[in-house]
Amino acid sequence: MAASRGGFAGKVLRVDLSTGKIGVQDTIERYEAVLGGAGLGYRVLWDEVPAGTGPFDAANKLVFAAGALVGTSVPCNGRTTITTIFPTCWPRPLVGSGHMGGHFAAKLKYAGYDALIVEGKADRPVWLMIRDAKVEIRDAGHLWGSGIRRTTLELSQEMGPDCVVAAIGQAGESQAPMGMVINSVSHSAGGVGGVMGAKNLKAVAVQGSGAVRIAGDKAEWEKLVKFHLSILGANNQHVVPSFPTPQAEYYNPASRWVGQPGRRWGAAKPPVELTGDIHDLSRIVYRTNSAAFFLGEEAWKYTVRGNGCTACPIRCHTMLRVPSVTVKYGIPDMAQNTCIALQFGRMFFKGLMAGKGGEAAIEACMVGMHLADDMGVWSNYGQLQRDLRKLYEGGYLKARLGSKEYASIPWDKYDRNDPAFLLDLVPRIANRQGELGDVLSRGTGAIFDTWSIPESDWADDHSTTYWKMGHPKHHANEDDGQCGVIINTQYNRDAQCHSHTNFVRNGLPLAVQKKLATDIWGSPDALDAPGDYTPANPYKARRAKWSLMRKELHDALGVCNWMGPWVASPRWERGYAGDDSLESKFLSLATGRPMDREELDRAGERIFTLHRALTIRDMGQVDMRAGHDTVPPWVFEDAKGAAPFTKGTIRMDRADIGRAMDFFYEAMGWDTATGAPGKARYAALGLADVGEGLAAAGLVPQDGK
Amino acid sequence: MSAGDAPDLGKAIVEAVREASAEARLVGADEVVERLRARGFGECLDTEPEVDPCRRVEALLSGLPEIASLASLSGRAVYHDPALLSRTYARILDRKGVTALLMAEEIRANSRDYPRPVPVELFEAPPFDLAPEAIEAAFKAMAASEEFRDIAFTTTSQGTVYLFSSLHLERDYATFLAEQDETFSMNP
Ligand code: SF4
Repeated sequence: MAASRGGFAGKVLRVDLSTGKIGVQDTIERYEAVLGGAGLGYRVLWDEVPAGTGPFDAANKLVFAAGALVGTSVPCNGRTTITTIFPTCWPRPLVGSGHMGGHFAAKLKYAGYDALIVEGKADRPVWLMIRDAKVEIRDAGHLWGSGIRRTTLELSQEMGPDCVVAAIGQAGESQAPMGMVINSVSHSAGGVGGVMGAKNLKAVAVQGSGAVRIAGDKAEWEKLVKFHLSILGANNQHVVPSFPTPQAEYYNPASRWVGQPGRRWGAAKPPVELTGDIHDLSRIVYRTNSAAFFLGEEAWKYTVRGNGCTACPIRCHTMLRVPSVTVKYGIPDMAQNTCIALQFGRMFFKGLMAGKGGEAAIEACMVGMHLADDMGVWSNYGQLQRDLRKLYEGGYLKARLGSKEYASIPWDKYDRNDPAFLLDLVPRIANRQGELGDVLSRGTGAIFDTWSIPESDWADDHSTTYWKMGHPKHHANEDDGQCGVIINTQYNRDAQCHSHTNFVRNGLPLAVQKKLATDIWGSPDALDAPGDYTPANPYKARRAKWSLMRKELHDALGVCNWMGPWVASPRWERGYAGDDSLESKFLSLATGRPMDREELDRAGERIFTLHRALTIRDMGQVDMRAGHDTVPPWVFEDAKGAAPFTKGTIRMDRADIGRAMDFFYEAMGWDTATGAPGKARYAALGLADVGEGLAAAGLVPQDGK
Repeated sequence: MSAGDAPDLGKAIVEAVREASAEARLVGADEVVERLRARGFGECLDTEPEVDPCRRVEALLSGLPEIASLASLSGRAVYHDPALLSRTYARILDRKGVTALLMAEEIRANSRDYPRPVPVELFEAPPFDLAPEAIEAAFKAMAASEEFRDIAFTTTSQGTVYLFSSLHLERDYATFLAEQDETFSMNP
């Protein structure tokens, strides 16, 4: 019974926009085995969305799912996973998820729901009002055409200031595959905005007056939260500061832990001076300043504060106030974001890519955030920007766009690194205006299709960082050798996995990392120093598997994989160890049902295997190894001709990657010839029905392993 | 206070060193003695006039597991509590004022342990706080000295200078790591 479990809200909300039917179902009864979040989303797609369904078909479903740890006091818990048939996956759409932080997930839980499943398609623009048990489909005619900020404001005024709004902008409305949904001003999920638009769903606004029950011992819970705080580093779990401090044995100039005593949030009123011991738990918030990390020293004076997701002390969405952009570009002087979304504007310009970029890059970032986070345009992890640069600089556009359209684009501004160029370009994409706007709005695959450009033009060119299926690499061989390669073969979009990179980039000396690796994955050979790669071995494959399972778990539990897993820590007295069992300890206490690390990892494997099954089903082929788990040619090249396994190259060796994949498939218990799970593997993971379904369709390996 | 109060004295010594470590300072035995006197331990320290209180404190310090000693550049032992003042930081403090050695040892430790080259800007920021002119002068001194033959630099494609020790990093690898370090912001 739902009521007997903590952690879960207990109900899943279903809204059919075609019929207007609104219903609820029990979370535990139906979805406990897949936990929530991504697991719940995959299960819904497996059960309810037939193979061949297009992303914008009414039959496609959109699953906004929180997890059992969302809305509790677990640090970094505010993640919503939105699972659907993903529209930028090329050449055919397949299952994928977008993830957003912010406060939407917690509000959904407080309203009583672990997930919201949106079905069908409204016959006119609507928004969804959720106020605890009261759920209504309301007319959004007055909002259609508005940006995300205005939509958020209007719905907040209508519902009250304590609601959270997740809305699409013009890109989503125009069913752009590159559309995104945003909640809480800056927290976006890419690729799913257009699916909302296809359903005529402008926004979901949630108010919740409930709470999440912790079923286990409250004192234990508090103790564990305190412990978790004590092993946090800065963003991406960088566990050493970027500068030497009296309190730390180690430092790393490349660490995201940039908050140093003496720095100032210069645009706060009054400015906030960072003082005292930066290791102190009450000062965790000062460690991360994404703008200073990405854009350099100048960003400190524009910093207002860090913003972030529910219960997260890291607050990686750095809020900036840059008055000059109002004067120059007529846009608000405030914006906030992190990582690629922070750098959305800058990354279009080749001339602003060098180093941290300084003032010019900061202004471009402000213009980019203003446009992308209002119109809801996704960057596809920077592929949009790399695509435009290659298209323009490689002469593709001049050759393919009509001369009138080409001339209408202010390339002079682009050449001058003038952010005003974005005021022209981004609306073209959001509104799918002209051929360029339309093609870019559909993602990288549309570039190949529309302009007959061979995919190999991108896949051969390292500078595009293109990987496969219309998407780029996301922490691959440049960070983590074979482990990064394996991870990047597995998804239908960019991998979005940080479990591995958070570890290799944590800033600890190699010997300490290897000691921790021995404890966790059984051998110091589970990782190499970057660019000093050794041949594949089973320990690297084990770490790749662990990384993927934890990513899936985080997306199922609702915690941030941009921070976790927390297996390293800043704590000298622990030998810099974190805790590999943290997730299972939290889940056990939250639900009141003990679950050890192994059992929870098995749940992660179940969820990941369900993703694999969906991919196999919708591709209609069992040979994943040849047909899906591919590696672009640039991975096997080196600009200077360095051979694989020489120091200073990230070049991989084809035969060795083949062995790495063998080790990985073996670790997963999959058939090594096809990279597909057999019936027995599905059954062992509690997915017998899935295995049988695939076997009936002839989509399990021949020997039935 | 008497000689019989050694456990109390030991505790007071730990506190005196911790106090200094919390202020990011290394202390020698003489300063510990001063701090002890300020805490009212003078009588206890003077109970055996034939024993130099500094020697006595040194002897007690060597038996305190929570306190670390460092052979300072000056030749004397200095003390710190590693939980409050790390070994790395203690070494930086000790080498302050001997710029070439300070930089060289930091560059060597980074090349050896992590392994990585470090951007030259590292030394302009706290706790090094070296002026560009001081850094340049230190480079000149290093170039002229056999002792620092291993200290080398590589310049990235974006023009940033990274420093490394050839004892621990090959030039090509240092160059690769420098390029990678500089492009982390484009690889979030
Ligand atoms: S680290 Fe950033 S994205 Fe992750 S939970 Fe915290 S604020 Fe949100």
